[in-house]
Formats: sequence, structure tokens, C-alpha cells
Amino acid sequence: MTEKIRKGGDFLIAETACQDVFTPEDFSDEQRAFAETTEKFVADEIIPHLEEIENQDFSHVVAGMRTCGELGLLMMDAAEEDGGLELDKVSSMLVGEKIAGGGSFSVAFSAHTGIGTLPLIYYGTAAQKEKYLDKLITGQWCAAYCLTEPGSGSDALSAQATATLSDDGSCYLLNGTKQYITNGGFAELFTVFAKIDKEHFTCFLVEKSFAGLIVGNEEKKMGIKGSSTTQIILDNCRVPVENVLGEIGKGHKIAFNVLNIGRFKLGAGVTGAAKIALAEGIRYANERKQFGKPIAAFGAIQEKIADVTAAIYASESLVYRLAGLLDTKLATIDKGIPDYYEQYQKGIEEYAPECAISKVFCSEVLAQTVDEVVQIHGGYGFCSEYPAERFYRDERINRIFEGTNEINRLLITGMILRRAMKGELPLQSEAMKAFESLMTPSFDELDDSAPFAAEKATLQNLKTLYLVLAGAGVQKFMDKLADEQEILMAAADIAIQIFAAESAILRAEKIHHSLSAARQQQLIAAVKVFTFNATEAAATAARKAAYYIEEGDTLTMILSGVRRFTKYDATGLLAAKRTLAQAAAETEKYLF
Amino acid sequence: MKKLLVCIKQVPDMESRFKVNTDGTWYEETDLAWRMNEYDEYAVEQAVQLKEQLGEAELTVLCIGPDRVKETIKKALAMGADRGVHMTDNESHLRDPLAIASMIADFARQQDFELIFTGMQSQDRGSAQVGVLVAELLGIPALTTLVEFAYDQGTITAKRELEGGSRALVSCSTPALVTCQLGLNRPRYPTLPNIMKAKKKELASLPVTDLKLPPAQLKTAAMAPPPKRGSARILEGDTGDVAAQLAAVIKEKM
Repeated sequence: MTEKIRKGGDFLIAETACQDVFTPEDFSDEQRAFAETTEKFVADEIIPHLEEIENQDFSHVVAGMRTCGELGLLMMDAAEEDGGLELDKVSSMLVGEKIAGGGSFSVAFSAHTGIGTLPLIYYGTAAQKEKYLDKLITGQWCAAYCLTEPGSGSDALSAQATATLSDDGSCYLLNGTKQYITNGGFAELFTVFAKIDKEHFTCFLVEKSFAGLIVGNEEKKMGIKGSSTTQIILDNCRVPVENVLGEIGKGHKIAFNVLNIGRFKLGAGVTGAAKIALAEGIRYANERKQFGKPIAAFGAIQEKIADVTAAIYASESLVYRLAGLLDTKLATIDKGIPDYYEQYQKGIEEYAPECAISKVFCSEVLAQTVDEVVQIHGGYGFCSEYPAERFYRDERINRIFEGTNEINRLLITGMILRRAMKGELPLQSEAMKAFESLMTPSFDELDDSAPFAAEKATLQNLKTLYLVLAGAGVQKFMDKLADEQEILMAAADIAIQIFAAESAILRAEKIHHSLSAARQQQLIAAVKVFTFNATEAAATAARKAAYYIEEGDTLTMILSGVRRFTKYDATGLLAAKRTLAQAAAETEKYLF
Repeated sequence: MKKLLVCIKQVPDMESRFKVNTDGTWYEETDLAWRMNEYDEYAVEQAVQLKEQLGEAELTVLCIGPDRVKETIKKALAMGADRGVHMTDNESHLRDPLAIASMIADFARQQDFELIFTGMQSQDRGSAQVGVLVAELLGIPALTTLVEFAYDQGTITAKRELEGGSRALVSCSTPALVTCQLGLNRPRYPTLPNIMKAKKKELASLPVTDLKLPPAQLKTAAMAPPPKRGSARILEGDTGDVAAQLAAVIKEKM
């Protein structure tokens, strides 16, 4: 278990000991059993109906959700006194990962258990929970979350929907249109955001049966076609005053807090989807023969399998490390205190930068995975007869919803800089040191007797580089830096690669000695391949940032710093890739 | 209160790539993922169904093996067994069916079980002997390869699957032992609440060194994958040519 409580974002300046990170190898018997039940449910109850679900026969989705309710898969986050299991984040991430095999079904599941149910769990009164929560955690009702509007997506607080108190004071009349509502077609409970008196952003629990709630047509989508996505039109929809969720005017807290968890869970879901897609690609590569041998035997294909395997390894390491960070933090909050969920939200908020990193990094690993899996399939990957085509289409939305990857990149850098300004993270003083180290040559000899010494040294250098650039950006633009989105995005790219590589390296360091020789070799290969790719990606982002921020002598100096701090001796890289690809071809699945 | 026993085994995930170990007598166990023997899932399900039917009954699950088998016992507990017994034995994979059956029989002898359930065979060794040997050692009847099962007041009525898919209707009175074939029922999923409840159920450890085991009667001399058969030979040419070549091949092989 992870013991030390870390500050969110401090991975950029502090070192972490490998025994302090949670890894998938730390799963308990119970957590593995949750995963097995989920996988079996998907294989037996969803996969046989996948085609009908893709054709929007939602009866299978609703039935599947009921079965999930019976299995207890919808009650993981609810409190024990409300009939839930109150499981840790590791468990809910693991279930989220395994449900991903259900394709579009997993979208319904995630929307229901995440943004659909969490607002009620976190902010509902006892009476509201009594009325609705049992229906949601048993799967009797499906839930939907209505924030986005035709005119407000990323800028959620500019929503136009209104709520007006009725003359007799018994209910609010809601008016407006909500857009892209997942589960819209069959949900029974809608968590709706609207502004009271066009001013106070507020959250409401709206039943489908309330007069004036109209479900729009299904959107025709590129992917996740078997999920329901509709408009929800509120036409003088009458919502009893007791259905206001949380405080009037504090709707933004609900909206944003559940998004943190949503982003983090999305990381787990896409990691699961990537493993499945990769396995499909490997199986095809083993089966497809050209020039007299399986294409899995060709280096051009092997390299794709190796790069993707290493990337998914990093993605998985990142997700469960973050789950461990959250669980450790949340376990310190006394469940008996009256403002438990307030403190709980603060605990999650602490790791908001990491949650955003999880969303961006893991969804982009899935993008890379499905792209390569289609490519491995060649022409067959372009035909819908093979699942690779659906994987490719289904993937795309993950870089858009739960905050686009652009919004999340801006958030990553924005939050970290804001914390530095507030003195919560000693970024400035560390940046000064980093800048000094630019001007002093390093003669440190690498002690390569320690495991992963080269990777850890590179990681340290990437952190220094991040600090140099963040420091330079702040110095140059001061409080105007928020307007320089290209720089913020480049900085986020470096931070993302640092967190991912660090998660991959620390996991390997923690587990490698307990593995067989063959597994050790594969693990070392994955770390080498990923560290190389991450360092190259960080170097490109750093160079970009340097050109965006500086000119003249300082630019020259920073660019030489980029060269120096992104040196990684990846000797044996090709052999590492072949090791990974050959092992993957043998097991026909994700290796770790 | 009636007492029921279900005996289960932990086996490797059958999708694993198996390698013969250095002794050449068993598979290499490192890097394998482990799960409940599939036949035993049907046995556990049937035992739990009977327990539910009886209302008042206690179902014990027994598993022999190294520490890792606890995870499989916990699965049976999450499916509805009441208590677990783990016979700790790091050498269980080396023992012959009689030795394993003796261990189970020694455990069961004093306990007055109304019914003992096992899978028809294990997916890894596949001897299909352990169940019947246990029954023999305890001096109780055994019904094997069940595809249907009913119990009423001390009588089992069951269908056995025979060669070619035909079925035999059989019955016997308890105490008895039954071995379960795939398809006997639909093994339930352990639900999340039951997985959590299983954590609190009793799981006792019994060191196997306390038992007197019979000398081994069977010995594995060697284990190896089947030899690769020669690849197909494709005859080419026009029809007459191919016919002549084919005739030559047949003549040569006859």
C-alpha cells in the first residue's frame, strides 16, 4: 500500500520511493475477484448482444445494467449506510477497466456510476438518497448527467438553462436545452444544471416522469454507436424544491468535482479498452500470413506491438498509482465527521492535476493503440467485419468528453502554476535551482548498478527541464501566461510524460525482483521502450516551449539544456522491442 | 443440520502457454495465472443450490495446495460456501490421485457429510479418479459425470452423461459422492457484496504433514507435447498428373 500522503502535482519536484506507489501487483484477492466477476459479466451478458446494442436496441443495455445492479457493480461508491459497499478507488478503477470490453455498454455503465450517481452520493440529502439512491445502485433506474448545452461545452458555466421558482414556491420551472446527454434515451433520473434567476448556477434531480422533460432524438455518431446520446429539452419542467441538489448557487462545485473522478475513471476505462484492442491486433498478426510467415514475425509489425505494449504498461501503471494516491489520502478522512464528503472532495481535488493527466495520457495511448491495430489489420482493419474498425471509431470520443484533452492540458499546467503562486508547491525556488543547473556542467557519474538507474536519472533531468521552462514562462509572461495556451499545452505535455514515465519506472522497480527471469526481461524492455518514447516526446515539447518563450542567448542556453536533459542512453532498444513483441505474440495479449 | 462438502482444485488459466518443467514430469508453474478448475465451479454451484434447498445446512469447501489456492477457496466462499479448509501442501501437484483422495477422505471421515461434491476431473491432470477414490475410501456410493441433479430426503436422483451423449438416469441414497460434468448448471457470479462477505468467513489451514499418506502407486515418467505431425504435401499439376501422383503415394503407404 502507499503510505505517504503526497501533495498533488509534487511529482514534478520531489522524488517518490518505489515502495510508496500502488501497482496492479498489489491488488487484493477481493479486488481480483471483482475484476473476474466484471470480466465474466461482460463476456457472458454483453458480448453476445454487442451487435444488437450497436444497433441501439437499448433493451440489452437496460437489462445489462439491471444485472450489474444484482452483481453489486453499481454500489461500489455509495456509503454502507445507504446500501453501498464504499469500496476504495482501486476497486472501482479495476471494475471500470474490465467493463471496457463491453464497448458501448461501458459508456452507459460509466455515465451511470460516475457522473450519473456520484452527485447524489456526494451532495444528496438523506431524503434524496432515500428516494433515489437505491433505485440507482440496484440498476432499477439508469442515470444521466445534463451539463453541456448546444452553446456551452468546455465553457460549462455559461449555460443558458434557467430555473424559476413557481408562484406558490413549491417547485422550480426549468427551461433550456441540454446537449449530448449520455443515457438520455433510457435514463429515469437526470442530474440537471440550470441557473436560478439566470444567475445562481444550481443542480437539480429531475425524474423522467416530471412534466416538461422531453427526450430528443438519438444523435448519429461516429463511434460508441450503441450508447444513447440525446438532447434533453426542458420546457417549463416542474421540479419540486426538495429536488435541489446541494446548495443553490453552488452547482459549479458539483459539476467540477465529479469531473475529477470522471477523468480519472476514464483513464482506467481506456486502459482496459487498449488491452483488448492490442490483443486483437496481436492475434491477427499471428494469424495473417504474408511472404510465407505470420506478419507478427516481421520487424515492422513487431515494433508497433512493442511500442503499444510499453505505452499501455505506462498507462496502467499511472492509473493504479493515482488510485493508490487517492485511496491513501481519502483513508485519512474520518467517516464520522458531518462534512465528510466536503473533505472527500477536497481530497480528490488535491490530485486534480494527476486526474487530468490520467484522462489525457491514457486516452492518447488508446488512440495510438487502435490506430496501430487497424494498421496491423491492413485493409481488413478498414472493414467493419473486424472489431478493429469499431475500436478505432469508438476511441475518438475519449479525447473529447470529460473535458477535451486541450482543456485538460490547460488545466494541468494552470492548476500547477496556481498552486505554485499560492505557495502550495515550491515551484519557484526549485525553478531557480534548475536554472542554475543549466549553467553548471554536471559531472555526476551514473551509478548503473542500481536497477533502472539510467531511467531514474533521465526522469530527474526531465523534471529539471520542466522547472526551467515553467520558470522561464512565468518570468516572461507573469500573470499573462494564462493567455499563452500554446506554452501551457507544451508544459503539460512534459508533465504528462514525466508522470507516466515515473509511474512506469517505479512500478518496475517495485516488482521486478519478484518476477521470473523471463518476465523481468520483458519488464525491463517495456521500461526502456517507454522511457525512450516519453523522453523523445518530452524533448519535442520542451523545444517547442523554448522557442515559444525565449529568444537570443537565453533561447540558445535553454535549447542546449533541452539537449542535455533529454539524453537517455537506450542501448539495446531494438532488442527490447523484439523481446516485447515476441513475448506478446506468444501470449496473444497484453503482457503485464 | 446437514453437512455438505465440496472439493475443489486450483488450476492454471487454460489460455496459458504451457511449458514442460525441467524435471519433464509436470508443467512449469512460474508466470501462470490461476483459477478454479472449471468442473469444480459446477460442483460448487450444485452444492450451494442444495444448501439453499435444504435451508439448514453447512457447506464446507476444501482445497489442497500451496498458499495461492486461498484465492480460489475465497471464490467458493463468495459463491455461497460457509467455511473454507485449506490443506497446505506445496507438493500436491506431485501426488498421485490416491494420495490426494486419501487426504480428502481423512478429512471427511469423522465429519458425517451428507453429500460430497467434486468436479468430474481437473483441467490440468484430468485423471477423473480423485472423486471416486474418495467415495471408495469412505465406503459410500459415487455418481459420476452428472448433468442433472436432484435431492430429496436422502435420495439423489441424477442423470449421468455417457459416451455419444446418451444419458443414464441413476439414483442412490446418501451419504454419497457426486462428480459434476460441465453444463450441470449455471455457476453463479460471485457478487461484489458476497465477495466482501467471504472475507469474513472462516478459512482454516490444515498442514498436510499431519496426515499419513499411502505410498504413491502412479508415477509420471515423462510429459511432453504431442510430436508435430508432418505438414501437408500439396500435389500440383493437371488432373491426370495429380491422379498419378496420388496413386503413387497411396501405393507407397499401403
